Amino acid sequence: MKLPVAAGLATAAVTITLYPLFEGGTWFWSCMGAILVTTVAGAVASRMGARPWVAPAVTPVAVLLYLTLVFTPDEAWLRIVPTKDSLVRLAELVGAGFDDIQRYAAPVPDNPGITLLATAGVALIALLVDVFAVRLRRAALAGLPLLALFTVPAAVITEPIGWIAFVIAAFGYIGLLVTDGRERLSRWGRAVVVRRSSGSGRGAAPDTERLALSGKRIGVTAIVLAVLVPAFLPALSPDPLFGFGVGNGLGGGGGNIGIPDAIAKLGGQLRQQSNATVLTYTSSDDVPRYLRIYSLDIFDGTKWTLSPLRGLQEDRVSEGPLPPTPGLRPGVPVKRAEMRVTMSEDIDKLNFLPLPYPARQVDADGDWRADRASLMVFSAHDEAAGLEYRVVTEEPDPSTTELRTAVTLPESERYLQLPDGLDPRVAALARRVTADAATPYEAAVALQEWFTRAGRFTYDVRASGSGAQALSRFLLRDRTGYCEQFAGAMAVMARLLNIPARVSIGYTGGTKIGDVWTVRTHDAHAWPELFFDGIGWLRFEPTPAGAGGQGTAQVPLYSLPITPTADPTTGPSDGPSSNEEDDSGQSAGPARPNPRQLDRDLDGTAIAADPGTPVAVKIGIGAAAALALLLLPAAARLMVRRRRLRRMTRTASGGHAAWAELRDVLTDLGMAGEPSETPRALGRRIAERYALGPQAAESLTRVVTSEERLRYAPTPSASGPVPADLRRIRRDLAPRASRWRRLGAVLAPMSVLRRVRAAGEGALDVFDRLEGLRPRLWRARPGGTQGTATTPERPGATGAGAGDAARERTLTGARR
Amino acid sequence: MAVTPDVTDASARLEDLIDTAHRIRNSIESVIEGKSDVVRLTLTVLLAEGHLLIEDVPGVGKTMLAKALARSIDCPVKRVQFTPDLLPSDITGVSAYNQQTREFEFKPGPVFANIVVGDEINRASPKTQSALLECMEEHQVTVDGVTYALESPFMVIATQNPIEMEGTYPLPEAQRDRFTAKIAMGYPEQAAELEMLDVHGASQPLDKMEPVATTAEVVALIQAVRAVYVSQPVKRYAVDMVAATRHSPDLRLGASPRATLHLVRSARAHAALSGRDYVIPDDLQDLAVPVLAHRLLPSLEAQGQRRLPEQLVGELVRRVPVPDAK
Repeated sequence: MKLPVAAGLATAAVTITLYPLFEGGTWFWSCMGAILVTTVAGAVASRMGARPWVAPAVTPVAVLLYLTLVFTPDEAWLRIVPTKDSLVRLAELVGAGFDDIQRYAAPVPDNPGITLLATAGVALIALLVDVFAVRLRRAALAGLPLLALFTVPAAVITEPIGWIAFVIAAFGYIGLLVTDGRERLSRWGRAVVVRRSSGSGRGAAPDTERLALSGKRIGVTAIVLAVLVPAFLPALSPDPLFGFGVGNGLGGGGGNIGIPDAIAKLGGQLRQQSNATVLTYTSSDDVPRYLRIYSLDIFDGTKWTLSPLRGLQEDRVSEGPLPPTPGLRPGVPVKRAEMRVTMSEDIDKLNFLPLPYPARQVDADGDWRADRASLMVFSAHDEAAGLEYRVVTEEPDPSTTELRTAVTLPESERYLQLPDGLDPRVAALARRVTADAATPYEAAVALQEWFTRAGRFTYDVRASGSGAQALSRFLLRDRTGYCEQFAGAMAVMARLLNIPARVSIGYTGGTKIGDVWTVRTHDAHAWPELFFDGIGWLRFEPTPAGAGGQGTAQVPLYSLPITPTADPTTGPSDGPSSNEEDDSGQSAGPARPNPRQLDRDLDGTAIAADPGTPVAVKIGIGAAAALALLLLPAAARLMVRRRRLRRMTRTASGGHAAWAELRDVLTDLGMAGEPSETPRALGRRIAERYALGPQAAESLTRVVTSEERLRYAPTPSASGPVPADLRRIRRDLAPRASRWRRLGAVLAPMSVLRRVRAAGEGALDVFDRLEGLRPRLWRARPGGTQGTATTPERPGATGAGAGDAARERTLTGARR
Repeated sequence: MAVTPDVTDASARLEDLIDTAHRIRNSIESVIEGKSDVVRLTLTVLLAEGHLLIEDVPGVGKTMLAKALARSIDCPVKRVQFTPDLLPSDITGVSAYNQQTREFEFKPGPVFANIVVGDEINRASPKTQSALLECMEEHQVTVDGVTYALESPFMVIATQNPIEMEGTYPLPEAQRDRFTAKIAMGYPEQAAELEMLDVHGASQPLDKMEPVATTAEVVALIQAVRAVYVSQPVKRYAVDMVAATRHSPDLRLGASPRATLHLVRSARAHAALSGRDYVIPDDLQDLAVPVLAHRLLPSLEAQGQRRLPEQLVGELVRRVPVPDAK
């Protein structure tokens, strides 16, 4: 009777881990209902003593009735009995559900189709668990369907499953195993094996309580270890790059949609051998433009991610122009251009449109919506693959004066937020690099200048590492990376200088082949955008371009360093230059094709790269730390000894301290006795077995007698032991132990380790006590049915005897 | 401060009395060779105001021990040979009609003595056994509605023969519980047996024994034993130990609260005999087997494994941790 319930609980526990897959809670209650139906069906079958095959045959019918009641009551007869119409409707819903699953990435909205699929799937798992655990009595095997259910979120969601969810799921399974073990054992006492599987065996049930206790202890220990150990271990696989893992927060409204990670893994695209075409476009002014897909505005110390998107109904691109460009003042001149983009058929799932920034108008088939804050355009249903669309962009074309006077009013605090624990040297570096800059704009230009020239960076797509540490390494030591590192580092440094910054991911303008611009996978790129009030977000390009860098990257004209001789009016008006079929970047007028190509070797405000800590020193530090850790028990032992010796001389009850020290010395040397050994017996044993010298024997007697009198006599002995006594005993005893023992007594004293173990056991005992609560409540009832393996309706005939047996068990079970 | 003189006084008295105890001990040991443990335990039971059950095969000196003890103390000793036809009045005494005084006159039975030796107690009918056992517990005899107090010290030394069980009435658990301790004499060592031949070969050694202590001295000794200090941890240890017998899965019947009382009382005597004015756990450990084992009933499983109660108690003693100071 217990077992079907335990099976249902186990399935329910694992079902909880599905939560990251869905938005909303409907699916959960629906699944719980399915589990309930399955469990009740199984339990009733057990109760009626049906043959094992009955439950698996009946349960699907029950589940079908349940699904009909929940999903298609209107078409059904009496709202519950399936009719042809209702079955057709169910099938339609299933089809719709599959379509939705194809369409959405997790978390998916829990519309009826998806909920139906989830419910049916969970019901199937519940049925399998019931079959394995209850019908076939193979509870361990029931872990397989549970594991299958558990792997669904693990496989779909890139982020690890929350540890609480894991613990709940693991407890569910352990509960099932324990119940099974208990029920199995409770049957041993029966004389006749009957087919009826109602677990009401008569007569005294065997002792399953302790078995369950130890089972639970092992289970709890395993779970605690499984949760804690990984937390203390360094991760084995380094997260690639700065971790542009484009994740997304949970919740946040209907416009939320998942983002395929494949696109975000820029590094993968750049490292690919094949260089497939992603899209082609033509533009009205035949100038290449960066096409942005994502704008990442959150840096949490491990990676850049984007805040939840908001795609409101009225922000559909089909409704008209896009929302106004953030931060752009009306008076600023803009350059208008129109592009026609053709996406390749072969791209993976992509719900975002690659667009120039800032896009003003997008004509594309489907439900595409714009996010007001970032102007990203995305869809919850439609994909970009094979799409042809038109986009109008209005690039701000600020004059240098405007830029120079521009201030950075944070549009929003979030563009300035940085995680705690950033290396302070990064901030110092940022200030040093921009020491000469008077305005935020000049600071930004100086930063880009430093990245592309003065800093002597090397472009290498094999770079890896993530988060704040990798950032420090990249900026201070290696100075080797590719666009993601460059973009991330510049954005962080800009934020450190109070310039709002974010990282964009997308493609460079590509290369012109024939009449069209072709963008390939190798053009995948990341770049920082910095915000200047009145102008809005401006792109910067810290990544080296050309053959030795990101092939088609180009530096925006407005971001070139302002040399005193340069005519301020010429630069910006030219517009961004194009780099044609050849990969060498052409920009900034005829005099300077690509500054970083030429000036690479020039001395700038070169700041020597911090060579970092040498490996040998690191190993040394690590070894020292490990050694310190290993010596911790020894240090603890020494401290305890010193404290005791001090107490011996000071307080009247110094005898206790001497005794405790003696016990620990014996424990360390492996000479400890049993807990039932009296002080006197211990003294006798040590003196006889280890043949102490007369002086040491006298000291031993003094310690023992003092302790004995302190404990048991009305008056303590006149003269207590002195520290010299203990030293003498130790000196005489040490040679009797093996050399390893002696070493162990110093380095890893058993007395300390045992105390640590006792503390651990104490913690586990808490679980035992919690476990003990319930049986005690049971026993308090008249009739005294005991334990949980038996059903309450058992006659009270076993009454007092069983109660006594239970009490006896509890007491002898106590740890001595 | 009021306690200190008391304690020193008690310990001074103790010094004296230990001497007496040693005299008695030596006196007995001059008759019973190589059985110092048994002799010491006998003395312990005497000082603990308890009763002793000696169980062993015939001829190992059970009666000799009892007699030797009696002879060493200058006190009345009575010996009752238990037989199936022994009546309760044969033990307690009887009211007889005196024709001269024309009154009923009480003729005290053998129980009116300081030391009563009951030989082969299991041969008498339960009715007779219980008459003796009542005296043991109550230290008084009631005959025809009149209650007669027994003298102090009062000690019953009963012997039992574990073989030749036919036609006997083995003591039920409830009655065994009244004996403070049960000991087995055991065969003497070879050397001791040889010496016995030399010493006792020609003469009856009991004849040559002289009393070495008076009743008053023994009573004083008993008083001193009562004053021996038992600390709280030791009391707890005794309770733990007895409780362990009740919870052991190997035992069908554990020891009674009376057993706890007997254990602590005899531990006091044990400590006093060692010259200590306080009890230590070692006393309890030494006495656990003789004081507890005969009251216990092993479970059927333990019986099947031929584990004797003595072994089981020994195992329990090894398991119960010695109490700390607090």
